Amino acid sequence: MASASAPPALDAPPSTKELMAAFLARDMADGEEIFVGTNLPVVRAGALLAHLHHGPSMRVMVAHTRTNLHHTPVMEYFELLTDWRAARWAEAYFNDSEIVTYQKSRRDSVFFVGALQVDPFGNSNLIGLGTDQRRLALRGPGAIATTTNAAHVRRFYLFVNEHSPRVFVPRCDFVSTVGWAQGGADARRRLGLPGGGPRYCVTPLAVMDFEESSRRMRLHSVHPGVTVDEVRARTGFPLLVPDHVPVTPAPTAEELAILRRRVDPQGLLRR
Amino acid sequence: MTDSPRTDSPGPNAPGARSPERRSLLIEEAALDDWLRDGMCVALGGLATACHAMIAVRHMVRRGLRDLTVVGSAVGGLDVDLLVGAGCVKKVICPYVGAEALASIGPFYRAAAERGLIEVWECDEGQYYAGLQAAGQMLPFMPTRGGVGTSYPEVNPDLRLFTDPVNGETLVAVPAIEPDVALLHAAQADVYGNVQFVGTGYADRLLWRAAHRTLVQVEKVVSNEEIRRSPERTALLAHGVLRAPYGAHPFSSPGFYLEDRAHIGELVEAGRAFARRGDRDPFERYLDRYVRKPADHVAYLEAVGLRRLLALGEY
Repeated sequence: MASASAPPALDAPPSTKELMAAFLARDMADGEEIFVGTNLPVVRAGALLAHLHHGPSMRVMVAHTRTNLHHTPVMEYFELLTDWRAARWAEAYFNDSEIVTYQKSRRDSVFFVGALQVDPFGNSNLIGLGTDQRRLALRGPGAIATTTNAAHVRRFYLFVNEHSPRVFVPRCDFVSTVGWAQGGADARRRLGLPGGGPRYCVTPLAVMDFEESSRRMRLHSVHPGVTVDEVRARTGFPLLVPDHVPVTPAPTAEELAILRRRVDPQGLLRR
Repeated sequence: MTDSPRTDSPGPNAPGARSPERRSLLIEEAALDDWLRDGMCVALGGLATACHAMIAVRHMVRRGLRDLTVVGSAVGGLDVDLLVGAGCVKKVICPYVGAEALASIGPFYRAAAERGLIEVWECDEGQYYAGLQAAGQMLPFMPTRGGVGTSYPEVNPDLRLFTDPVNGETLVAVPAIEPDVALLHAAQADVYGNVQFVGTGYADRLLWRAAHRTLVQVEKVVSNEEIRRSPERTALLAHGVLRAPYGAHPFSSPGFYLEDRAHIGELVEAGRAFARRGDRDPFERYLDRYVRKPADHVAYLEAVGLRRLLALGEY
């Protein structure tokens, strides 16, 4: 919901969150179906930016509200999964047990996974930190539906708000969502997982992808003002680093205008 | 209804036999005692910050029930956290307990789980729903693919990897999750248990399918004629119906009221005081004010206050 404080000026330079949203948006094609969870303002903004910028036939699921905003000026931000006022933007409303159970309808869709920990093959952990499940040092939020969804969807993105050696670890304490398992080009096929796996891992410092033959995490681009060494130092395992690492492209003026006027008028991404 | 003279014991369905009245399934709040007992497996409907059966939940706390296995909703709310905080729970079966942006994880749930005071049946939503489907289909288990290659079979030994006999794939067998009773909150029902939602009803229908019995709190008890006006909306048949205006408070009820963020905040702060500082006083005060002292739901609503309740109805 709208916050009391006024959003920053519309002509401010792009924030890191806006940059991350624009990166995600450019990786989504018209016609795709995008599933956004709740409480993920950057992911939501990326999906809606793609939809409004170049994806008029996209179907975007924001929480349980399936929407198409092509002719709609603004979609208000809703903080809670079950906020029934979001029905104003809905073309359809989905029943939670059905969208999780019937994965065939999601095999061509795009999804996002958050994590407490991520390993070099993009396996991730939302269960908790520690060695004994009955006595976790930190109980995590749990996988919600990420285990099942990430097994089936066309591709997913790992999205983490903190880029540090606490998050990027050589080995997760527990794996709740499979990325590229133990590595190798056919790692997921060997496990019988039909979905395409993680394509990118997006953080406030950089974007990583997974090298095609080993499926090890590789630096794809660094955000403006961030150095390769910094990303290396903030990653708790050796990253594959190509000879040339580009800078994550800034949002265009058109993308920023859509973000600020139609997707995020409250300025959540600029705080 | 007129009494016809009885002849020599006709069978119950014999022509001319006296037809009994259609039985009302409406129960009074005090009769919740007949539904809920120590050690039961209790499923709680709704989702996240919406539509939890809070009259029934507060009743369990008020009665001091113990050793419950709680099947929370797929995105379990602070209904579960309240029960954990009050010491009613032995085991939690659901993929999440919290209130999203209002509390990323239930503070009592986290503290109790980390200290080993409750057992957490680890699962994701796909596995959770599969277990309920198995129960509803009277099958011993349901296979899922979600979980293959993860730690779930290690952290929850009930989730077993097996080789499927058709294609030879490795899959996860999720055993049936069979609640003794499902406690749900819906928009309306008649006294015969025809329940209608506003909105999707989340996964409440599945909880109803899986549970042995289902009790539904409703915002409004309506006439059978009202139900018949739109029978396609009837989502499930309850075994018991409880009159429950504002019965999901402090959580939202689609079409009726939004969540009461200030009240949820009070509960979350009480939980955090305990989880972070071991200070149980705020929670005891919360329980005194909202659970122990109000003898029934109306007294609870009086404790919350009319002004607060009426402010929750605006779009």
